[in-house]
Amino acid sequence: MNKTRLIFFTFILLALLIIGVSFVIQQLSGNIPNPTAQPIQLRVVAALPIEPWVQDAAQKFNAEKRSLEGRTIVVNVTPMDSVTALGKWDRGEFNPVPTVWIPDSRYLVELVNATYSAKLGRDVFLTDGEYRARPLVTSLFSWGIYKSRAETLEKKFGKDNINWKTIHDAAIARGGWPELGGEKAWGYFKLIVPNPRKNAAGLLAMVAAAGEYYDKTTITTEDVTNPQFQKWLKELMGAVTDFSSLSSYTVEDLALFGYSVGDGGQLLESDLLVNMSGIQTRWADPLVIVYPKYLTWFDFPFTIWMGAETSAIEKNAALQFQKFLLSAPIQSAAAARGFRPANTEVSIAGADSLFVKWKDYGAKTFVPSTARMRAPDRDTLQTLLRWFDLNVAK
Amino acid sequence: MTHKYTPRNMKKRKNPPVKKSPPCALLVFLIVIGGMIATFCGIGALVLFVSSFESTTTPTTATLDLAYSPEKDALMQDLIARFHKANYQTPSGLPMRINATRMDAADMVDAARAGRFTAISPDSSLWLAQIDAGRQRALVGEAARFAVTPIVIAMWSDVAQSLGYPQKQIGWQNLLAKAKSDPNFKWSHPSTSSASGLLATLAVFYAGANKTRGLTEEDVKNRAVLDYVSALEKTVRYYGEGEQATIDQVLKRGRSYLDAFVVSERLVIYFNSKSPQKLVAIYPVEGTLWQDHPLALLEQPGLTDEQRLTFRRFRDFLLSPEIQKVILQAGYRPVDLNLRLDEPVSPIKLSNGVDPAQPQTTLQMPSAAIIEIVQAAWHLTKRPANIYLVADTSGSMGEQDKLTQAIDALDTFLDQVQGEHDRVGLVPFASRVYNVIALQEIGTHRAMLKAQVRAFKASGQTALLDAVAYAYDDLQRRNDRERINAIVVMTDGIENASSIKLNQLVDKIKRGNASGVPVVIFCIGYGSDADWNVLNTLAEATGGFARRADPETIRKLYKILSTYF
Repeated sequence: MNKTRLIFFTFILLALLIIGVSFVIQQLSGNIPNPTAQPIQLRVVAALPIEPWVQDAAQKFNAEKRSLEGRTIVVNVTPMDSVTALGKWDRGEFNPVPTVWIPDSRYLVELVNATYSAKLGRDVFLTDGEYRARPLVTSLFSWGIYKSRAETLEKKFGKDNINWKTIHDAAIARGGWPELGGEKAWGYFKLIVPNPRKNAAGLLAMVAAAGEYYDKTTITTEDVTNPQFQKWLKELMGAVTDFSSLSSYTVEDLALFGYSVGDGGQLLESDLLVNMSGIQTRWADPLVIVYPKYLTWFDFPFTIWMGAETSAIEKNAALQFQKFLLSAPIQSAAAARGFRPANTEVSIAGADSLFVKWKDYGAKTFVPSTARMRAPDRDTLQTLLRWFDLNVAK
Repeated sequence: MTHKYTPRNMKKRKNPPVKKSPPCALLVFLIVIGGMIATFCGIGALVLFVSSFESTTTPTTATLDLAYSPEKDALMQDLIARFHKANYQTPSGLPMRINATRMDAADMVDAARAGRFTAISPDSSLWLAQIDAGRQRALVGEAARFAVTPIVIAMWSDVAQSLGYPQKQIGWQNLLAKAKSDPNFKWSHPSTSSASGLLATLAVFYAGANKTRGLTEEDVKNRAVLDYVSALEKTVRYYGEGEQATIDQVLKRGRSYLDAFVVSERLVIYFNSKSPQKLVAIYPVEGTLWQDHPLALLEQPGLTDEQRLTFRRFRDFLLSPEIQKVILQAGYRPVDLNLRLDEPVSPIKLSNGVDPAQPQTTLQMPSAAIIEIVQAAWHLTKRPANIYLVADTSGSMGEQDKLTQAIDALDTFLDQVQGEHDRVGLVPFASRVYNVIALQEIGTHRAMLKAQVRAFKASGQTALLDAVAYAYDDLQRRNDRERINAIVVMTDGIENASSIKLNQLVDKIKRGNASGVPVVIFCIGYGSDADWNVLNTLAEATGGFARRADPETIRKLYKILSTYF
């Protein structure tokens, strides 16, 4: 072999070696994360009523492959009841910590802030500035009652007189529906209240009942520890058919099991509107909506965790997702699910609105009452929950 | 390949020898090339090693271990087959699979707590509450129901009419009054290990407490309530292993088997589709309960993201419009409210004995703690039993440790017999029946029975039929209608020493069961040479069963049998 051939073959083999080593490195490097190429992961914990809408929006958002500083933003949504989430925040059990929390109501955010202010000396969710908690949509408690039952109650207690006090009277009727003027086959009056340990709406329903019992909008610990009130509340809760059910989300129960499980209850307006059609296809009797005197509003605030676990880029990515949720098309999708949009450009008075579609059954685009139940403090809520555990759940 | 591309070969193939090349240059060249090849081989081996290591430690499927309740066996088998056919994969490319096991709901609670499954689908979500009862951290994770069906009292239409149906609204009180007043009225509900059995028991407790809601711990422990429940439970003909087993028996035996029984609405539709004789579903006026068939993920330690994805995919599959329609066609009410119950494909219609506008009301579901008390109380109040253990000690039982296994099984069984209520007797046999211990309450002679069982020796032939006839005759002679009368046969062999023939014995049993006390026979077969024709014939003649003596059957023998008592 002459020198030229030797050099030639050496070059060829060196080239092959370089290609081979590159190939091997490429194969192995697939398992090594490259920080610059990693997407920005947004972990969103959403309250149960709003989660399906947020989940759908997240899918659309992810499909658009939006990016920030060259990194794709990926949104992952986890459904979680706000009372459960509140407990996890209090105990520091979130691992990893969510980037965004969308609870049922702003007051839950304030409760978490109160906990962390004591620990850290500062808020973990902001109430002003660029990263402040912002409502995405609103909804409110309203009575959903099967029409035949509502008519019977109005005959018994008077027109437009469905409220916690008359519902209590119906609940304690020993003779059941026949005593109230209804049919024997209806059994006793059955109230729907979500399990407050599984659904924040259940806790707020008890607060709303206390409001009407005392005829005021602010409820204190003293109010809920009053033995007379507790007796009254226990009698009321005695009409709930099943607190152990799988569903923490009881409009679904109302639709699926019909009047056999619940004659009615104070539930989220959006849930009622969405299920009105299904109830009519499954059960002969339609549902009617009645708005209470004291309104309990849910504002579903988009709150960004301001702790060290959230980086600056994640906060800004969260803002992008928030903007997306507030955009007109996504807000319209929320309206189609029975929510009242936060974006004022989106109307709920259109012909295809659920509020218009069900107006003959009591739905209103504008709620006339302005008396709003105020959020109780943490001690009052904890007292109610403990009372529930000891007197009802047991 | 290495050989093919060595320079030596290339030289041989393509080049003539080059004498002018200095030998040391060639040596250096060969060393360099050899080093490169070695490097290549080393790196290649490393890559192969890494990839093979990964392939042995990474699962090849994302498998969900699922337990489901027995009454939806056919539906689940169908749905799981469809799911597998769809070939779903995780984003990492793992095939999604469901490894399904049929199991009654009460056992599912224990198995879930023991970490055996990553997902469950019992007949009711009330079992989910029992899984998490008393736990610091919830085991039950994401859950969704995919089908519902109300629990009803199934009756022959003339039986229902005799109670006033359809002019009068009837319910538990009518059924219970009929059972108390008419000794020939035969009714049944499953044991409390299924939702329908639990509901029926709750309904009896509610009736005893004269309530339709607000059942308290004091109520279920009240002596008068317990006496009422006990009196009624004594009128139950059989409990059975579950509602599907009850329906199968009614299909096989016809209307003489039972007058009324508690099952889900779905099984009334199923029965009416198979039988010319029709049942009607009575939705009790006091209220009923629903089976809501949840699919729940269990947050077991070690649950992988892939398994979680498989769960979600399967859940979404079950909730898809196409599968919801399949569920409706199977007689369940789908959770998809867009599907109407009066769809053309829907079997939920009056002509099938069921009413889509029912039920009107439900009984109030007590807390998990009260349900546990009801279950425990039911075991004490239900009808006690007279049980004859007919044990084969023939020579062949000495082979393959069969006698040892049978002794262990009997020993376990005798340990498991609860309370002082049941009476147990022993009929050992080989070439003939010998050393019989007559029926006595277990509390007084458990030790004696166990001692005799421990002393068994294998010898002689197999007079199986004579031994069964002996036990049967004794039960008929006693004519104890207060109790359920049962014979448990443990044998390995082929009948070869009896004086009575199989057809004679079956005739005797059929006549005796019709005119005297009904006796149920359960057969446990050991080894491969057990005569299954004989065992099945005896069991089927009485509504019992014949099963192989596998460890699971033996371990749970008393529990299984007790569902019939």
